[in-house]
Amino acid sequence: MNLTRISLPLALALAGGCSRASSSPPKLETERTGAVTDLGGQLPGIHLVSPLPNGDWRLPAGDYANTRFSPLKQLTPNNVSNLHVVTTVSTGVARGHEGQPLVVNDTMYIVTPYPNNLIAIDLTKPSGAVKFVYQPHPDPRAQGIACCDVVNRGASYADGKIVYNLLDATTVAVDANTGQEIWRTRVGDIDVGETTTMAALIVKDKVIVGNSGGELGVRGWLTALDLKTGKEVWRGYNTGPDKDVLIGPEFHAFYQKDRAPNQGTSTWPSDQWRLGGGTVWGWVSYDPELDLIYYGTGNPGVWNPDLRPGDNKWSCAIIARRPDDGHVVWAYQLVPHDHHDYDEIMENILVDMDWKGQPKRKLLIHPGRTGFVYVLDRSTGELLAADKYVESTNWATGYDFKTGLPHQVPEKKTGMGRVVQDICPSSTGAKDFIPSAFSPLTGLVYIPAHNTCMDYEGIAANYIAGTPYLGADVKMYPGPGGYQGELIAWDPVRGRKVWGIRDAALPVYSGVLATAGNLVFYGTMEGFFRAVDARTGTILYQFHTGSGIVGDPITYMGADGKQYVAIYSGVGGWMGAVAYPFISADDTHAGLGVVGAMKDIKKYTAPGGAVYLFSL
Amino acid sequence: MTSRGIWLAVAVATAGLGCGNLPDYASEGRAGVLDGTGPRRSVANQPVGPVPGPGDIAPLANPLDGDPTARMEGFHLFNQFNCAGCHGGRGGGGMGPSLRDPAWLYGGTPDRIFASITQGRGQGMPAWGTRIPEKQIWELTAYIQSFRTPDEPEPPR
Repeated sequence: MNLTRISLPLALALAGGCSRASSSPPKLETERTGAVTDLGGQLPGIHLVSPLPNGDWRLPAGDYANTRFSPLKQLTPNNVSNLHVVTTVSTGVARGHEGQPLVVNDTMYIVTPYPNNLIAIDLTKPSGAVKFVYQPHPDPRAQGIACCDVVNRGASYADGKIVYNLLDATTVAVDANTGQEIWRTRVGDIDVGETTTMAALIVKDKVIVGNSGGELGVRGWLTALDLKTGKEVWRGYNTGPDKDVLIGPEFHAFYQKDRAPNQGTSTWPSDQWRLGGGTVWGWVSYDPELDLIYYGTGNPGVWNPDLRPGDNKWSCAIIARRPDDGHVVWAYQLVPHDHHDYDEIMENILVDMDWKGQPKRKLLIHPGRTGFVYVLDRSTGELLAADKYVESTNWATGYDFKTGLPHQVPEKKTGMGRVVQDICPSSTGAKDFIPSAFSPLTGLVYIPAHNTCMDYEGIAANYIAGTPYLGADVKMYPGPGGYQGELIAWDPVRGRKVWGIRDAALPVYSGVLATAGNLVFYGTMEGFFRAVDARTGTILYQFHTGSGIVGDPITYMGADGKQYVAIYSGVGGWMGAVAYPFISADDTHAGLGVVGAMKDIKKYTAPGGAVYLFSL
Repeated sequence: MTSRGIWLAVAVATAGLGCGNLPDYASEGRAGVLDGTGPRRSVANQPVGPVPGPGDIAPLANPLDGDPTARMEGFHLFNQFNCAGCHGGRGGGGMGPSLRDPAWLYGGTPDRIFASITQGRGQGMPAWGTRIPEKQIWELTAYIQSFRTPDEPEPPR
């Protein structure tokens, strides 16, 4: 039986299960995807809320729940050592290749870093035959306002369209067959420092997009565009009055601290919320059963906390919105009044699991930049667990589950004119945007982690539109313990590490893929692509690609009936950009303070830009 | 001599001076760069006609060259105008390219640095000429010129 061709009427079943009537019926991808929400062999008590990418890979994370789990199981711990490179395709751009390609109907779609070309590869032909290249020609000035390399985190597919963001705050929809542009919408303004680097997510008939620019004093937002026309349907800001945030009668925060009206203005000095950050440059999740989208928000602007007294809502928060009208259902601020640039735009993994005696609790798992794995009830926003997953984490000792507040360590709070030393993790986090995977077979979350620390000094800041708005002098360096990266297999229920694979020199800056073959795939910044036993952490296969890996692996079923795995090779991003010749390793303050931690990277890798396809 | 002739003469003289660092194809007995049988001499630096514009004007020196106060002022301005956010706390790069290394996209002489700050550049460098007084741009230039020299104020720790 060919699993890739199964098409079950799952969308209808899910629509029937929705807790809230919606204006248009959900249109979930079912052809070659969505066939599987229940696997043989998965742990009892686990329920997957989104169809899995069964054959194709049509959404950034494969599924709506951000599990990055594939039911394909041709590749196993027994045969994966026979993996080999089938072909490679150059993207022609030697910058940070974050994100992942899509695979739809035997075609692979690659979005390059700026200039954000869309390359379509015919997978039925050998050697990566190019079907078309769509060149959108974004405004070149956008390169100079992108804080952390000119990256793109991927596209979504639905309704015959590939939809993705350009660096210059523009979203495009392209005909997946012809490469013709169908619509093009300007969603932000590069003149005030807005860019768009996140992977747009198609939910029903809408495209969900957020902005980047938290280092340039922009105001964060999430918007929904009509999939057919590209016209804006709603926009919810993450700072400002409730009417802008789309907080209305349906809003109910779990914690008292998050309930007062208009906190998007009252938790800021005067009009600082207009420059308050809280951007959305990571990943969006969708629960078709609860009909809610989830995302995390970035750091508050400016970096110097003394310049913005108050909780600074809704920066560093997790927010649940209705996809149809954008209204906020709940919000939980993970860190009030951020002192360390801990953006919390990380992936939110949605899964129902038995939780401490309660069957199939609706969980949201958020491995945080703060060094804590947060587990929330995604119906209510209640914090169920917050466990340290990187030992060096020292800015807080834990969380108060009655108030939802962190127990912060006073000595690690930063401020004006004070050099606070040895803060762990650094601003780049115990992990960054690079996404984890979850396997329902092991019940584990596979987290790409960093062990990096920093010194942080608050300094004066001048707001000049379109230029950095920082107010901090930061210097990062590797954390204690003789390693800087680790792939961690994490048990979210018991709150403990099961195994880890450490990387001495460099952070793990690649996303993770888990498969039903009980394998985990990821890459290293040195350029190794690895297959690992999901249960034991044994490295079963590795191949050294041409450049450091900062992208996310995907898997798909080829027309030849073979399972393939694909990964970008092309170092870059905030930490990886130190590999570029135009960043000087002798300035530890360069790259927003990241050079101190990364000055050795030039020894290990160099820029590149290619996709590698592997198979047996 | 017509003005056209003067410009041509200047251009040829300039080309001659500028050839100092180029390989001398003629003396090596190699063909020119146009094709295998073409001129016996490199045409790489020969003008193709009258050079438009003012011709070759000697580059402006930094009027604040050698002034330690100007370099220190430049260091402060480098932070105040958010240069540090893009080009790194001590000019090592980030969103914008390093100013500490030997590579200069648009020229590393004082007048070219001044022009880059004043006019901006196409990949995101803003044009600061209308926002920063000329003296302060020369101070920024003096600071940038001092990178990796013993004169650099506040070098990286």
